[in-house]
Amino acid sequence: MRVPVSWLREYVPIEVPIQEVADRLVISSCEVDGIETVGVADVDGNLGLFRVGRVLDAVKHPNADRLQLCQVDVGEGDPRQIVCGAWNFGAGATVGVALPGAVLPTGLELERRKVRGELSDGMILAEDEVQLGTDHTGIMLLPNGIEPGTPLADVLPLTDTVLQLETSHNRPDLVAVYGIAREVAALFDAGLAPPPGHDPPRDTDEAVDVTIEDFEACPRYIGRLFRGATIGPSPVWLRARLLAAGMRPISNVVDITNYVMLALGNPLHAFDHAKLAGGRIIVRRARPGEKLRTLDGVERELESYDLMIADAERSVALAGIMGGEETEIGEATKDVLLEAANFEPFTIFRTAERLRLRTEGSNRWEKGVDPYLAEQAATLATQLIVELAGASWAGHVDVHAGLPEPPTVRFRPERTDAVLGIETTPDEQHAILHRLGFGVDGDEVSVPSWRARDVTREIDVVEEVARFRLADVPARLPMRQAMFGTLSKPQRVRRRIEDVLVGFGYSEAYTWSLLPRESASAAVELQEPLSSEQAVLRTSLGEGLLASARRNVDAGNDEIALFEQAHVYLPTGEQLPEERWRVGGIAQGGFLFAKGTVEGLYAALGVAPSFSPADDLPVSGRGARTEEGWVVSLRDPDLPGDWGAFELDVDALVDRIPDLIVYEDVITFPPVRQDLAFVVPEEVTAGQLAAAAHEAAGDELRELRAFDVYRGDQVGQGKKSIAFSVTFQSPERTLTDDEAAELRRRIVSRLEQDFGAQLRG
Amino acid sequence: MEKRSVTVAAVDVEALERDAAAAVAAASTPEELDEIRIRYLGRRSELKQALRAVRDRETGMTLNAVRERLEAAFDTRETELERDQLAKRDQALDVTLPGTQLRRGRLHPLTQIRREVEDIFLGLGYEIIDSREVETVWHNFDALNQPLTHPSRSHRDTFYVDDDTLLRTHTSTGQIRVMEQRDPPIYIATLGRVYRRDTPSPRSTPNFHQVEALAVDRGITLADLKGTLMHFFRAMFGEGRDVRMRTSFFPFTEPSVEFDVTCFLCAGKGCAFCKHTGWFEMGGAGVVDPAVFERVGYDPEEWSGFAWGLGLDRIAAQRHGIPDIRMFWENDLRVLRQF
Repeated sequence: MRVPVSWLREYVPIEVPIQEVADRLVISSCEVDGIETVGVADVDGNLGLFRVGRVLDAVKHPNADRLQLCQVDVGEGDPRQIVCGAWNFGAGATVGVALPGAVLPTGLELERRKVRGELSDGMILAEDEVQLGTDHTGIMLLPNGIEPGTPLADVLPLTDTVLQLETSHNRPDLVAVYGIAREVAALFDAGLAPPPGHDPPRDTDEAVDVTIEDFEACPRYIGRLFRGATIGPSPVWLRARLLAAGMRPISNVVDITNYVMLALGNPLHAFDHAKLAGGRIIVRRARPGEKLRTLDGVERELESYDLMIADAERSVALAGIMGGEETEIGEATKDVLLEAANFEPFTIFRTAERLRLRTEGSNRWEKGVDPYLAEQAATLATQLIVELAGASWAGHVDVHAGLPEPPTVRFRPERTDAVLGIETTPDEQHAILHRLGFGVDGDEVSVPSWRARDVTREIDVVEEVARFRLADVPARLPMRQAMFGTLSKPQRVRRRIEDVLVGFGYSEAYTWSLLPRESASAAVELQEPLSSEQAVLRTSLGEGLLASARRNVDAGNDEIALFEQAHVYLPTGEQLPEERWRVGGIAQGGFLFAKGTVEGLYAALGVAPSFSPADDLPVSGRGARTEEGWVVSLRDPDLPGDWGAFELDVDALVDRIPDLIVYEDVITFPPVRQDLAFVVPEEVTAGQLAAAAHEAAGDELRELRAFDVYRGDQVGQGKKSIAFSVTFQSPERTLTDDEAAELRRRIVSRLEQDFGAQLRG
Repeated sequence: MEKRSVTVAAVDVEALERDAAAAVAAASTPEELDEIRIRYLGRRSELKQALRAVRDRETGMTLNAVRERLEAAFDTRETELERDQLAKRDQALDVTLPGTQLRRGRLHPLTQIRREVEDIFLGLGYEIIDSREVETVWHNFDALNQPLTHPSRSHRDTFYVDDDTLLRTHTSTGQIRVMEQRDPPIYIATLGRVYRRDTPSPRSTPNFHQVEALAVDRGITLADLKGTLMHFFRAMFGEGRDVRMRTSFFPFTEPSVEFDVTCFLCAGKGCAFCKHTGWFEMGGAGVVDPAVFERVGYDPEEWSGFAWGLGLDRIAAQRHGIPDIRMFWENDLRVLRQF
């Protein structure tokens, strides 16, 4: 919301500097995004260089067919010679002149200079050059009779300041200059002008035919008929206000509807009455298959819940959102039907949302406009249409099914103290409420109609007082009975996982939760993704890490090792997917580096994994599964060299992590260590040998770890030798040589029997 | 008593000990020392031969005492020489050469700030709550008193999975789930990923992270909220930081405020970063709306509470001077390795 300060001060005539007004609004009412100067800058006497001039003489420029050479009296005795490109004036015209040294709103500084050989000692102004309009077809003509040399700012709104405000959803009353004025008056305890607009006398009393079929969606419709309007440009003061407020002037009647909306907050619409079939207005829901071409030229397909303004035959406007093209006000319009209605928020929201059509109107309706406001809006618009378009007011109708009584709320001032933590006397609280337009009667508070939707409960009244007391609230801490904060086991485990991986040289990555549709066969899909690249929720962290690894390769980074710990989202067939914490990694260094990471991570968490070969992993390649996930040898055309990747389900890991580590005696009875090498067929894996060995030797085989694989002449074609370092140990006694030999014999014979393994001498 | 020399069992022990001590001191390598040791303490040494020939107790004690002293002298010297020799090995060491490069990973800056925030909450006696990201419309909007016409419900602002399911737009959902399950008092913080349908830009991304705190107890006031914010941000940004509250609107709090914290770059003096206001816009807060308590079955006349929250990504980016928030999602090691 842009609020021109000159307009604001018309309703709340206080002399407080605007910065101070902004500072108060920021704390108690709305956000202030900025304070902007519009039009001609009022600095260093700049404004004084803009004057009223009278053209004494205007002839064709001797050296240029398209230019005029003018002598202009700007109140200095001698006239100034000014070269001008416009031809919509001649000798005798009263105009606006900028003198050399003047800085235009664009920042351009005028100079005295020669144009095609003739001196130009200033500039005759067109309205767009001083931001009073958008027209540049000719210069701005002022009414005759103004003394030359008069400061131009005395006759035109040359300069203004604009408050840029951002108001919240619960304050529809603040999306209006008058509403801001009312707020400022309350904040500063200042006087407020009555709402703008006075009904002129009605010339005739023609019937206005308005029917509301759906009072729930449209509680009120005021229709006013005007005859004999002249459509043309608005006067400069109105155009200047619209421009400063951020709207483009179009023509008087349309500008008036916009002006009234900005002034009071009630969106209006004007129809060309001659184009309404039967001269009728019917407010109804859309019919099956109905379409409407809106003002922006788009043909809209309608749904049965869309609220329409229709005439006797067809829809002519999307209620509250946008008018239709066919009944638009045009240059030829003579008779105008003005709509000052009230629409319910949800109806407007639903249609605007479906059509992706947000307008100044729909934005206000969605917040809930006061139904009492329609009357004042109709009045102000009527006054202006009669004054500015020369129309006669010919008819009026106000259709509604009873307007809601302003709510009353039970209010205990001590509740405010209990919420704020500071005392505010009941008298002071009541005074604040009075300033805001509330009525107080004992412990009953009556809410003004413009706040009726937002303030319905005691706590809402408390907030009204709180807004005025915020700066005084002290800082305390809750008085607590018990105070205890600790991380849960899963949270501690997740931190440990991060720390271990960082210690292993991995850097942590954050990647998007959303992936392209084709990336997972069964995944949760979004209804309206931002792009096809982010359409489904991931079921694995692999893809995001892969993309990050590629980006690092492209950037020329080395020793790439990345991990991420985040949710994956697994479809369940029910409303909500299952969300699980996963940790995934990707690293240069091949499969064994990745597997070493996984083994190290398991060891750090006190959990023993088993690895079994798998070729159905989410990332393609040779790999192995553990109880909680997988590790894979990654072959990717965009990742040169050897890479590995892994992913583990953290929630599953947490379940297996012992809560407490219990001491095991590995000191009293020393271990027996030896190396064993077996020649086996190529297809036999180290994991199979280890598993069988553990089964054969039992608990006294404490560790068996493959440390070398050899292929070559000494072991023969199709075979390999795997060397293990073996540790035997008993927690109960020192193993004798014979006992160690027996364990070893059991292993050798089992591996021979199961795999044809030959012990290498 | 003879003064010049003491002769015990035909050995001049005093001279022997003196000579040996001198030889030990003169030895310059362990090998030399070994030779000297053999000479004075070896099987054929004068001392050992004398010891073997000892017949009386007094002589034996005298000779053994000499032997022990010599052995100790040898051990001491041996340790010295070994140390010298080890020290010599490092004579050519250039200590200005770089050390062996160990691989060291980094925690992502977002995790670093997340942990920092979690630790402050733990210190304030809050539990950290894990919560889901795909949520029901009920938990994300309805239970939080969000009006049906609030723009945040729009399909343009929120990712929907179906008409009743969405990607949460704030971490308040976790608070509702906790309140549904437990009775007050409650002091919790929820941290995690949230989603808004924003096209990625230097200032916003469709995934980002929030932290929200909720306190529900008897007699909680806006003053408790202000104090909690002040303690929190002093822990985070340093002593002397102040908190300012401004009126705002959130459907789930009443009164609602936005809070600013003394600018962490200029400490409130005013700089380009805080647009010369001295304040940095931090997040939203308020006293929990009674409607929210009614929806989770708490009696609003008995319990009151406050809630506040903020976006972590923006604060992390601004603290570290990261110009484009999308860099958090690119995982370029040249960036990550700075943290």
